[in-house]
Parts: sequence; structure tokens; C-alpha cells
Amino acid sequence: MTTLALMHDDNTANDPQRRAPLVIGPQTDETVTDSVCRVTEEVRTPRAWFVALVVSAALTAVFFGTIGYLITTGIGVLGNNRPVMWAFPIVNFVFWIGIGHAGTLISAILFLFRQQWRTAINRSAEAMTIFAVICALIFPGIHMGRIWVAYWMAPYPNQMALWPNFRSPLMWDVFAVNTYFLVSAMFWYLGMIPDLATLRDRATSRLRHSIYGLLALGWNGSARQWQVYERAYLLLAALATPLVVSVHSVVSTDFAVAQLPGWHTTIFPPYFVAGAIFSGFAMVVTLMVPARAYFGLKHLVTLRHLDNVNKIMLATSCIVAYSYAIELFIAWYSGHSHERFVHLNRAFGPYAWTYWLMVACNVLLPQLFWLKRCRTTPWIMFLIALAVNVGMWLERFVIIVVSLSRDYLPANWAMYYPTLIDVLMLLGSFGLFFTLFLLFCRYLPMVAIWEVKHVLPREEVNHGRTRA
Amino acid sequence: MLPPYSSQLNRRRWLELMGASLALAGISSCRWQKRELLPAAQQTTDHPPGEPQRFATTMELAGAAWGLLVTCVDGRPIKVEGNPKDPASLGATHVYAQAAVLGLYDPDRSKNVYWRHGLQELARSWDDFGQFAQVHFGELRKTGGEGFRVLSEASSSPTLAALRRRLLAAFPKAAWHEYEPIAWQQSAPRVHYGLDKADVVLCLDADLLGMHPMALRYARDFAQRRDPDRGSMCRLYAVESSPTITGIVADHRLPLRSGLVQQFARRLYAEAQRAASAGQNRSALWQSHEDPTERFLHAVLDDLRSHAGKCVIAVGPGHQSVSQYVAALNEQFGTFGQTFWYHRAEEAETTGQVRPIGELVSEMHSGKVGTLLILGGNPVYNAPVDLEFRKALENTPTSIHLSLYRDETSRLCTWHLPQSHFLESWGDTTGFDGIYRIIQPTIEPLWGGKSAIELLAMILGEADASGRELVKAEFQRRFQPTAGEASWRQAVHDGLIVVTQPHPKDAEFRRRPTPPPMQAEDGSFDRPGLEIVFRPDYRLFDGRFANNAWLQELPDPITKLTWGSAALISPATAAKLGVSTGTLVMLSYQGRQWGLPAMVLPGQADDSVAVALGYGRSSAGKVGGCEACDRPSVGANSYFLRTSRAPYFDDGLSLQPLAAVEPLATTQDHFPIDALGTKTQQKWAKDLVRQTTLANYLDSQSRQSGDATADHEPAASLWQEPQLGTPRWGMVIDLNKCTGCGACIIACQAENNIPVVGKEQVLRRREMHWLRIDRYFVGQPNNPLILVQPVPCMHCELAPCEQVCPVAATVHSREGLNDMVYNRCVGTRYCSNNCPFKVRRFNFFNYHKHFEDPDHEVLKMAHNPQVTVRSRGVMEKCTYCVQRIQAAKIEAKSRGQMMIPDGAVQTACQQVCPSGAIIFGDLSDPQSAVSAARRSRRAYVLLTELNLRPRTAYLGRVSNPNPILADQPST
Repeated sequence: MTTLALMHDDNTANDPQRRAPLVIGPQTDETVTDSVCRVTEEVRTPRAWFVALVVSAALTAVFFGTIGYLITTGIGVLGNNRPVMWAFPIVNFVFWIGIGHAGTLISAILFLFRQQWRTAINRSAEAMTIFAVICALIFPGIHMGRIWVAYWMAPYPNQMALWPNFRSPLMWDVFAVNTYFLVSAMFWYLGMIPDLATLRDRATSRLRHSIYGLLALGWNGSARQWQVYERAYLLLAALATPLVVSVHSVVSTDFAVAQLPGWHTTIFPPYFVAGAIFSGFAMVVTLMVPARAYFGLKHLVTLRHLDNVNKIMLATSCIVAYSYAIELFIAWYSGHSHERFVHLNRAFGPYAWTYWLMVACNVLLPQLFWLKRCRTTPWIMFLIALAVNVGMWLERFVIIVVSLSRDYLPANWAMYYPTLIDVLMLLGSFGLFFTLFLLFCRYLPMVAIWEVKHVLPREEVNHGRTRA
Repeated sequence: MLPPYSSQLNRRRWLELMGASLALAGISSCRWQKRELLPAAQQTTDHPPGEPQRFATTMELAGAAWGLLVTCVDGRPIKVEGNPKDPASLGATHVYAQAAVLGLYDPDRSKNVYWRHGLQELARSWDDFGQFAQVHFGELRKTGGEGFRVLSEASSSPTLAALRRRLLAAFPKAAWHEYEPIAWQQSAPRVHYGLDKADVVLCLDADLLGMHPMALRYARDFAQRRDPDRGSMCRLYAVESSPTITGIVADHRLPLRSGLVQQFARRLYAEAQRAASAGQNRSALWQSHEDPTERFLHAVLDDLRSHAGKCVIAVGPGHQSVSQYVAALNEQFGTFGQTFWYHRAEEAETTGQVRPIGELVSEMHSGKVGTLLILGGNPVYNAPVDLEFRKALENTPTSIHLSLYRDETSRLCTWHLPQSHFLESWGDTTGFDGIYRIIQPTIEPLWGGKSAIELLAMILGEADASGRELVKAEFQRRFQPTAGEASWRQAVHDGLIVVTQPHPKDAEFRRRPTPPPMQAEDGSFDRPGLEIVFRPDYRLFDGRFANNAWLQELPDPITKLTWGSAALISPATAAKLGVSTGTLVMLSYQGRQWGLPAMVLPGQADDSVAVALGYGRSSAGKVGGCEACDRPSVGANSYFLRTSRAPYFDDGLSLQPLAAVEPLATTQDHFPIDALGTKTQQKWAKDLVRQTTLANYLDSQSRQSGDATADHEPAASLWQEPQLGTPRWGMVIDLNKCTGCGACIIACQAENNIPVVGKEQVLRRREMHWLRIDRYFVGQPNNPLILVQPVPCMHCELAPCEQVCPVAATVHSREGLNDMVYNRCVGTRYCSNNCPFKVRRFNFFNYHKHFEDPDHEVLKMAHNPQVTVRSRGVMEKCTYCVQRIQAAKIEAKSRGQMMIPDGAVQTACQQVCPSGAIIFGDLSDPQSAVSAARRSRRAYVLLTELNLRPRTAYLGRVSNPNPILADQPST
């Protein structure tokens, strides 16, 4: 088997005469397998990875410590007040759910659209999705006044003869997010099975062999298995695709269905989905730029991949900017004094700095991606992606907290200030997210080996697939 | 006596023994009637357990009195209502009476007799004190009471007066002094006003509707004259330095520093004389005068002149120097016996038996006082600072203090004696209006305290010194009833005896006032420098309620401040001095300095700084601050600046802003609000609190409809509308009557077991009051319109909270109540987010945790057993007092009535309201008061456009401005 040799490391050029390769260098199946598996097979613990793990594990401990304190003491340890009954935890919830959008979008939608460049990043993006949704799911739970009766939200026949209220968007939320989590987790795991089998086959110790063997579910790579497997993968992709759109639409109804000015608007479902994809891709860049460098995967996760991701960010940034503009326009056009005020208050009220910082991070900075240099320079895109993460978190803060802080009756207006616990919980959720992601990097195949092998540049036509 | 089983025991002997045993056993069950009030730990046969009982009693405060009906459940008082038979209250109460239940069960109340020996404070018993008293006062009796002085708080008790006479007879050389920091019956004869008959009322620093012994009555009388549907309304002018309850409901309010209020009175008098001689109204000449004060003065004068015979001119305490002018003006314009009259005070006040505190303190300083008996009060804390009472007390060898708490004074006295609360003691009082009222205990003293009369009887060595016998003896002496015991029982049952008499036009008190002649320089309304004003607090009064958490957390009607005090400064003065809300300022006055946070208050007179009395207690208790138990004081003690020379206001203040900032726990506008917010607030407030003038209201025939939602197109609901049956409970709040006093807030708190959350939580905006009173400033900050609006749950028929609750914890009842199922609530708080009125309250913590402390167990007794105590993590809100509705339903059902009669259900807030601004009842009954109110042209609901169909509606404000003052802000 021969591969096309590339002249240089740059595969970002658009030469109409030749498709740009999706891997760099003379790659064979062996080199791909090697470079991915090596990360998990390294006997010596990588030092930087270990330091990062210790830091994020400590933050995770803080996270669960504050959760314990919250549950034993009361919601009052947070900064929530009346009128701002929902604050940091719900902001964090929507933020993490948003992050969780990129993975499934990359794996399912781009899969159905046959965007082959997804192969290098889909595994890690999906992992990111799962971990983000785990972080997200924790927040609404601990945010309840009485978490010990959270099961009352479940529609099961009970001796209390009570049934949840399905008119409440919170119920829709419970189902939408849980469904999304389950389908994403299945999709991710299914996609990993052949690679887990690879790890099993390469295992040199009994322990590794048995663990990966267990996880690989007896995969042997027969043609029959591949045929069934790919069909299942396609079906799950089709199943996951509507969820990408639905979950954040449903989350947005938590706000859109309420009659609070600033929440009660029909633009929310598409606006939230666009924002979610935007933030998800920003998180992909945030994670992949250091990971590909540190774990030596630059030849698989190439600049071209990042370039594509950045283009999606640019597109979604424009959608988000359009949404901001339309919100303002509709507020003015409605002639509704409360609606107008809530937007004026966002821009010029006491929380104006959050609004303008949000606009700077989400609308202005991503415009740099019109420049190819910014799209293909890792440190620039990393900084922009960080800013987008901040901006998207602020967007949820502006929507949730700033709207609540000033509503219909001026007598109720109040400022919201987070407590130390609020801040520690936000940091702690990042700790949990990074802990899980670091463990994933070290112990599971970060790149979908079998899928990358499909897109290696080859001479001959194979299985009727078009070369990349 | 034979051994029991002796063989010699014959039948006859056996019968003898058995007969004797039977007789003796029978006798042993015969007892003298014991008068004990016991909590019903064991069920009695004559009363169903849990059934509330009501007892009449009286609350006395600084000599004024209000009749109460106290609800007791199983032997413990849980709720206070006004006695409808009492003309001073007509069934309403103020906040102090409402909060009395919490004061009764306060675990910080003194539980022991203490004897101070050097630096040691030793717990003693009443018996120890009894022995001491016998010896000590026995010896004093020999010398005729040389060096024996009594310092009492103001009281109008006939029994106390009788004991005072007996004491002064037994100790001829003794003297009786009285001190009350807020002396509202300073001036004898006492003036009464007939606000129900007055067309024009002028209040000169007089808070007739808020801080006056007759405020409850006046509020009701005033409210009667504020019904625009009767075609006419009275007109109220207020001239005052700091906004008061009276000021905010006035048609015209003129902020004027208190020093100039006197000037205003003098000028008014002078101009009245001039106008009387000229015989014509002159205000048209002044209409274009640039000085608003002059314009105001002449407009008022003309109004008074044209309503002569139907006017009231009232002046507040501290304005003694102009009371003669005001009396003369009343004589000139009012009608004696109709709009004002005088009333004879109890004789003791006039016979010189009672002396002021100043004399006593100078005697104490010079060492002439050997024994000082202090009955109630807290002079170490609240006596004028220049008297140096603390030093004088240290100079007194034996001092005895009877007090509810071991307060600042108790801790310096030789003996501290625990006083019994008025809800646990016998007493009587004639109040401000001279009506004989009985104070009846509703529970045995919790901590074995004694009342002042019991202590005096003990000191006098009287045989039957029980409070009941003392009061009864005085009752017999006073009324010499022919019916004997029955009339006493009737009096105790009723709580008061109203001797039917016309207005006491006691001629001897009606001296034609002779005001001193005007001085030439009394001309302009201009005075340099700052002024300090000491005002009694709407929440703590003079500081005696500092350990009452309900009152500490009650938002001030005007400032909305809780848990603390502030120096109130007008916006212009604040800008001049570089002060903003929360800035710590140093007040220097008469060589004394004191620091406290400032608060910029629109409507405060320029150059006038008002400080509330009653804060900064150092020995109040765990709530109000206590050095001994290491709890910081709440607020700053302004008594440090209050001298006997100027107890109410004075010039010569200087104010220095400090660099520090102290957060003020207000329930509204926590932080200086931005320009955008201020503008919007002003715009929206006018829509939320609708208002018009009387002329416009009578003119406009456009809005005929009585449908409160008529100003908006009928909207369709997205949801399936609930099928609601009858009765349809609803509430109407008349904003034209509401004064914003806050009695409803405390009544609701007492009725519904609403927890107190503390300053930190209020700063985080987590107060739990189910009913709040919103306050808005509209217009120019120097003299804004101050609007108040009570906001309970609206009980929307299409309740937005119900749609979003995931577990259906808030649902509609068939009667249209928006019910909250605490047990079902999981605490998502979505309902609050979706409530446009934000009336829902969340238990952020376990706000009942302090009950776990065994010391605080007693506080549980204040709980209403009909209302669930809510746990941490659940929502709660106004229920329209559903427990009262249920009780009325059961009552009606047991009587076989199909309908609950109108008025049978009174919500707690409705019952307590002095002005009768709250109407509750069945909207499906067209005859009910609430239906009639809802049909009023003034009726409207909040946020009609949201199609919530609230069951709580408002009646808009209608003001009656003077056309000449049209450009002045009017309500």
C-alpha cells in the first residue's frame, strides 16, 4: 500500500486540481494505529498530563465538596435571590449543554453529509459532548431546593397518586437532556468498539487485554461485523441528528415559554442551537489545539481540520450576531415597554459590561476568522476560542440573570452577586470536565482510528468510496 | 385506733371508719377556686382542643392604650387583633400590637431576679428580693422615705395611680418621677381631632395617621373621607421635614425643615390675622410667587378660611413653642366639639405628683437619692444624654429596676426584677382618650415576672398583692358598680368600659389661647446650616422593641429599611455634602459626635437630617444587640445626640462624610439606581399605582364599566382555562386609603408563621414577607409623590406559576385560590421566575433552625397551629389566609348555611388594616363588599395585558389637590 507523499505540512491550501489530504505525511494504516494507540500505551505517565490531571481532579473535589455543602446547608449558599431565582447554576447548565452540541453535530450531521474531515476530531468531540452533558446534568439537580425528592419529576405510578406536570418546560427539559445524553453516549461508545478491539489486540499486559477486551464486546473485525456495524452506526447517526437540534431548542423553551421579558421570545430555539454549536466548536478548538500538539497528533488532526472548525465558528458567530440584532429589533418593533426596557437594560443598565463583553467575544472577535491566517494559526484560534467560551457563558448570564433582575414591577428589581460557592462551582465543573477529558485522552483512543484509515489517501478505489 | 385487721373490728366500727374515709376523701376534692392560667398540657373537658378562644385585653404604650382581642389556642396566645369596641382602634392594630406575641415568647426576656454585688451579678429569687424589700423599705418607712425616688415609664393606669398615692402617703418624703423618651401626651389638655368631620386638614410635622396615640382611629376617620364615589373628599396638607405616613397620603406635601415648620405656623397665624382683618382671600396674589413655601402657605390659608368650621390644624410633638398659635388657628377656623376638642387627663398628671426626670437626675448627681426604684423604661439607654443618667445611677447606692429584659439600665442597677409582659399580667389603663380599659392576662407569666402594680404592692407590704385583686379593687372604687361581680366580669370580658359621654367639652380646659405677638424678624423661610431631627421609629418606637425580630425586619414604610437605621438626607443636601446612600457620616452636634450610615431620601427637606430613635442597643438581646452575648447592635444609637434641651429637632448640626460605606438592608432599591432604571421606574409606577384627581374622576364618565380588566381587549388563553366554582374569593385593595403603615405585613407574619431571615439575608433580597408594600417615588426628588402599594399574591385565575411547575406543587382550587402544596414542592423556583409580581418566597435555608436550640423552644409557642411551618427548599406565598376560609366554611356548614356570609372570612391583613383599605370576600356574590368594590370605576388589576385575571384588584388613588397649587406635586 502506498501513500501520496506531501511536499510540506500545509494542507490548508485550496488547490482546485487536487483535493487536500486529510492527513499529513506518508501515513499508512500502521502509522495511524501507532500514533493513536501510543498515547494510551505509553508506560511512563506523561508529566504535563499528570500535573493537569492533579489540578483538575482537585477542582473536581472542590466541585463535589461545594455540592455537598449546598445540599446539606441550602440553596442560600448561592447568590440567588428574589427576583433572580435562577443564576449561576442554570447559566452553567445551559453553557455546558451548549458545549455538548459540537460532538454530536460533528459525528452525526457531518457523517450524514459525508464530511470526511470529521474523522480526525469526531471521537474527541463526542467525548467532550458526553463530559459536558455530565457537567450540565449535575447543575439542575443540585439547584433544586429539595434534591432528595428529585424523583418526583419522574412519571412513574406511585402511591402518592401524583403525576408530573407536562405543561412545564422543565419536564421537557428533563427528557430532552437525558435522551441526548443517552444517545450521545451510545453513539460514542459504538464508534469506539473497533478501536477498543485494536487496543485489546495490541495489549501487552493481561490487565489491559482484559479491560479493553471487555469493552470491545468481542469485536473481531469480520466482514459480517463490519457490515452490521456500519449500518448501526448510520442509524444511530440518523437518530442523533434531530437531537442536536431538539435538545437546545427544548432548553430554550425553559425561557421562551416563561412570560418574563427577555425570555419570552420565539427566536430562542434557533438562536440557542446556533449559539450552542458556536460554543461547542469553540470548545473543540480549545481542547484540540493543545491536545494535538501534546500527544503528537498534528499529522492526523491537521490545520485543515481546525480551519474547517473555525469556518463553522465564523458562520455560527454570524448567526448569533444576527440573533442579537433581531432581538433588539423585535423589542423595538413590538412597542412593548417591558420588552424594550429589558433590552435597553441589558445594554445600558447596571450589567451593561456583561452585554458588551458578550458582544465583543461572540460577535467581534470571531470576525478575525475571515482572515485565513487567524483560522490556521493555532495560538490565535486558541485565544479566540477561549474568548468565545467566555462570551457564550456571558450570553446565558445576560439572558437569565439580567432579565430576571429587572422585570415588570420596579419594586422587585435587585442586583445579583455570586457568592464564593457560585464561583467555586463553576470552576469545579471545569475541573470535572477536564478530569474526564484527560482520562479519556490517556486511556481511550482519542482519534477514530478505523475512520481515519478510511480517509487515508490511497491510489486505488476502495469500496466505491471517493478519495478524500 | 385499732389495727386494721384486728379481730375486734366489728361491723359498726367498720362502717364508722368507712364513712369517715368517704367523707374525708370527698372533702379533699373540695378546693378554693385557684386562679391559675395553665397551658393545656392535658385535655380539658369543657373546651375542644385546638379551638381558638379570644380574650379581651389592652396594650399600653407610653401611656396610650389600644384594646385588643387575643386569640389563644390551647392556652397560649398566638395572635393579636384589635378590639372592635375600642374607639381608639375600631378593631385595627398597629405593628407594635401585632408583634407583641413574639415579644411575649422572646427567649431573651429576663427570667431571673439579679442582684449586683460589686462587679458580680448573682441570680436571686423573688423570695430573696422580698426579704430584702421587707428590711430595706421597712427602714425607709421609718425615715418617711428620705432619699427614696421612683422613676416610672409613662402610664395611664388608675391602679398604678392609686398605688402611687398610697406609696407617697407611706413615704411622704419620697417622690415619683416619670420619663418617656417619646412623650406624646406631653401637653395637657390633650387635643383630639375629628378627622371624619374635617374638610381641610393641615398637619405641621404632625404624623396623625402614623405616630399618634389615636393614629388608628384617625386613619379610619380619614379613610372615610377619601371615598371619591361619595362625591367629596377631604384635603390633607402636610408640612414636615421628613416624609411620614401622613405626609405620603397628603394631597399636598411641603418638605420644610422642622425649625421652619414653626416659622410656617407663626406666619400662618400672622397671615390669618391679616386676612381676617382684610376679609378676603389673597392666594391669587401669591399664585405666581416664586417661593413655593409662600405659595403653599397662602393656598392653605385660603383653603382653611373657605372651609372654616370644618378644618383641623395639628402640630407635632416638639413644637411646644408654636402650640399656642396652632390652638389659636384651630379656634379661628375649626369647630370646637366637632373638628377638635380637648380631653381631661387623669388627675394625677395635673396634681404635680409626677415630676420630670431632670429634677431626679440632679438629685441623684448630688447624692440625695439613696434608693431608686425604676418601673419599666430604660433610662440608661434613652434618657437625654446631657443628664448623664448612667453616672447619676452609679452615684445611687440602691437601685431597683423592674424590666422585661436585662437591659442597659438593669445591668447597672443593684437589683434587676423580671417584669411580666402585658399579655401575662393584670392591669388597667385609661389611655390617651380617657377610656377605662382592662389588661387581662392570657397566660401565666412564663418566667415568673411581676407587673409594676404587683411590685409596688409588694413594697408597700399589702396583703393581697395579686394583680387581679389590685385592679379589681380599683375598678370597684372607680365605678362602684351595683351589679357587683357581674359587672366586673362584663368589663373583663369586654376589655373596656366606654362611658357614654358627648365630646368632653371640658370648659376648664378650653382656654382661649393667647399666642405671643409676632416678632418682626419672623419673615423668610431661610435658615443656614444643618438641622437634626429625632424621629420615633415606625418599627422600634423608642427602642423598646429592639429585640423583636418581626419589627426589626419590617421595612420602614418610607425608607424600606430593615435591620438598622440611617441618617436621612435630601438628594440636594446629599449632593452638596458629597454623601450617597450607605456612606458613613459623622454627625457632630452640641459637642458630641456620632457616626452612622446616610440614606438619601427623596422628599426629605433640604438641610434637615433625620435620625430614627431606638437603634444601637447594647443590651437588648440576641436580636437587637447584646454585649454580654457578643451580638452586635442593630443600627446606631441616636440617643447619644439627643439632649433634654432639644429632644425633637435642633439647628447646629454638622455632618462629615467618612470614607467607609455600610450596606443598608432595604427591601427595595438596594443600590443607587442608574438613570435608565430611575426613568423607567417613574414611568411604570404611574401605571402600577393609578391615580387621578377628584375633579377628573367626577368629570370623566368615559369609564363606566366596573370590570377591572376593561382597559384591555379580552385576551384568549393558550391554556385550557380552569373551571372555577363558587365562592370566588377575591381581594380589593383601596390605594386611596392605604397609608403604607405595614401593620398588614406583621399581621400576615404572625398569622402565617412567616420566618424572619436576618440582615444578611435581607441584603441578599431573601425576606419572606408574603405581603409586601411597594413604594415608588414619582416626580422631582426634592418633593416627589410617594406612592405605596401593598402586594399580596394576586391569585391569578390563569396563574403563570402553575403552568411551569414540573411537579404540580402549585395548583388552583375550585374557589380560585392559587394553592401552594409545600409537601409537593421540589424547589425548582421556576414559579417565581414566571410570576410577574414576584410574590413568591423561597426558603433558601432552614429558617426555623434556631428552634432546635432548647433556649428557643418557647418561640414555637407563637406559631399558629393552623398553618404549616415550611421546610428548607420549598416555595411559599400568600394563601388569602386559607385557614381562615376553611374555618369559616366549617362554621357555616355546621350552622347549616349554604353560603358563607359576607364578612365571615377576614384575612389577617384585612382585619388589622387601620384604614380599612383591604376588602376580601366572594366575588360571585354580587351583594358582597368585594364585588361592589370591584365594580368601582377605580378598580383595576396589575399588568392587564398579560391576561392573568388576578383575583386581587386595586382601587386607584384619587387626590383632591388645591387648584392654586396645581403645579405642585400632588397625590
